[in-house]
Amino acid sequence: MEKGWNMKATEANSNTRGWWANVFSDIHFWVPVAVLMGGLLLLRFIR
Amino acid sequence: MPPVSSSHAVVQDASRARKLQLLGILCGFAAGAWLGAAEAPTKLVSTGISPMVISFIMVIGVFLARWSLPALILGTSSVRADVRRAPHLIIWALLAGCLWAVANTLTIFAIRDIGLSIAFPLWNSNSLLGILWGFLFFNELRQAGWRRRAGVLGGALVMCAGATLLAVASSGRGPAAHSLHGVWAALGAGILWGTMYIPYRKAYLTGMNPLSFVTFFSFGELGMMALLSVSSLGLAPLWHELQSSRTVIFWLMLGGFVWVIGDVFQQYAAKYIGISRGIPLSNSNQLWGLLWGILVFGELHGRSTSIYLEVIGGSLLMMLGVGAIAFSSATGQEQTRWKEAAIRESDRYGVAADFVEARMDGRQVLGEAKPSRGGLDWLLVVAATSVFVIFATMARVPQMSVAWGPAALLTAVLVLFLVICGLALWRTTRFN
Repeated sequence: MEKGWNMKATEANSNTRGWWANVFSDIHFWVPVAVLMGGLLLLRFIR
Repeated sequence: MPPVSSSHAVVQDASRARKLQLLGILCGFAAGAWLGAAEAPTKLVSTGISPMVISFIMVIGVFLARWSLPALILGTSSVRADVRRAPHLIIWALLAGCLWAVANTLTIFAIRDIGLSIAFPLWNSNSLLGILWGFLFFNELRQAGWRRRAGVLGGALVMCAGATLLAVASSGRGPAAHSLHGVWAALGAGILWGTMYIPYRKAYLTGMNPLSFVTFFSFGELGMMALLSVSSLGLAPLWHELQSSRTVIFWLMLGGFVWVIGDVFQQYAAKYIGISRGIPLSNSNQLWGLLWGILVFGELHGRSTSIYLEVIGGSLLMMLGVGAIAFSSATGQEQTRWKEAAIRESDRYGVAADFVEARMDGRQVLGEAKPSRGGLDWLLVVAATSVFVIFATMARVPQMSVAWGPAALLTAVLVLFLVICGLALWRTTRFN
């Protein structure tokens, strides 16, 4: 594990994938988005 | 056998990790006390104002505090530097703000439909969902051992049971209506709040400073709340209600301000002990809210002995749960799994690994400019203070019975938490 840290460079890593592509393919993005949509629908339903 | 210098570094790392764990636990306790106290100013507001407007005004206070406090503590240059390093986190901060606003609005409907006693325990289950997300997405409680897992999960469950007892005791009346809508609203709020901790943990694993995160969080929060208020009431009626409530705006904004201090501590707790431990600890806010209600506003005055027994039993359960979680801090092996999750994030978004590592340790990167305050920061502080002063001059002290002795005592406890926790954060991390 310590090796993992030490292997990284000081500068930001270059990433060939687009910034937005990273966001849109991240499950950490879609779970909150799905829950937010569900919450808004629920709010509309109970109002 | 490792060289002496290497083993010395390992001992230092372990000692630093233990210190950060203790700091996170302290932040969780402080968060509970301050979040609970945020209810106090709102109790001074008489009824007759739309719940949506109350929530909207509180969020305005929250917005002002979320910009002025970071400017005062670290300066906006630090926020800008954080955003340059991890710009993708703005999306998660906005998302978290939107989730908070929708959840908060759902709680209003839940209380209206099923009453606080049923609604509160339902949405308080957010900590259980936080534990699940922490485990699934961020390696929390992995290789923690069964004793620590049982401590965290059992502690959270015991806290939920305690919260149920307290909510039943503090509810002055039965549910307003047995509506399925209310149950859905309360559960929905719990799910939204529990999911809001995904952005929290993601931000802190990637090295963002909690003070930077909350500034962008506030845009999502205020934007979504404004949208919900306007769509629910209409622009002209909303403005009319705001104008007619100008004598109580200060109290509600003060509630928002106090809430932000609690939330900042909650963010630091999430950063240093993770969401699976930090969130249940800060959920002890219900206990503090009840203390303010009973001791300062005389809410249970003249009630039956059984109610007091429920309160005592609920409080003991809450404290037991809090204790179980506080004594289940993460081991070295579990923290190694957290670092793996952090490396995954830094690789994915191209954030410098030494920055992520340094921030996880609560320190600056070597050669990083020290945060400083400039003219813009003082302008933000002065502007926010002026808004509070203006509304304070319009505020009217409500005619109600308040026990000032206990209020002073509880305020002193809050200040003590603020000083102790603030100093501990400053000495250990310089608020990084």
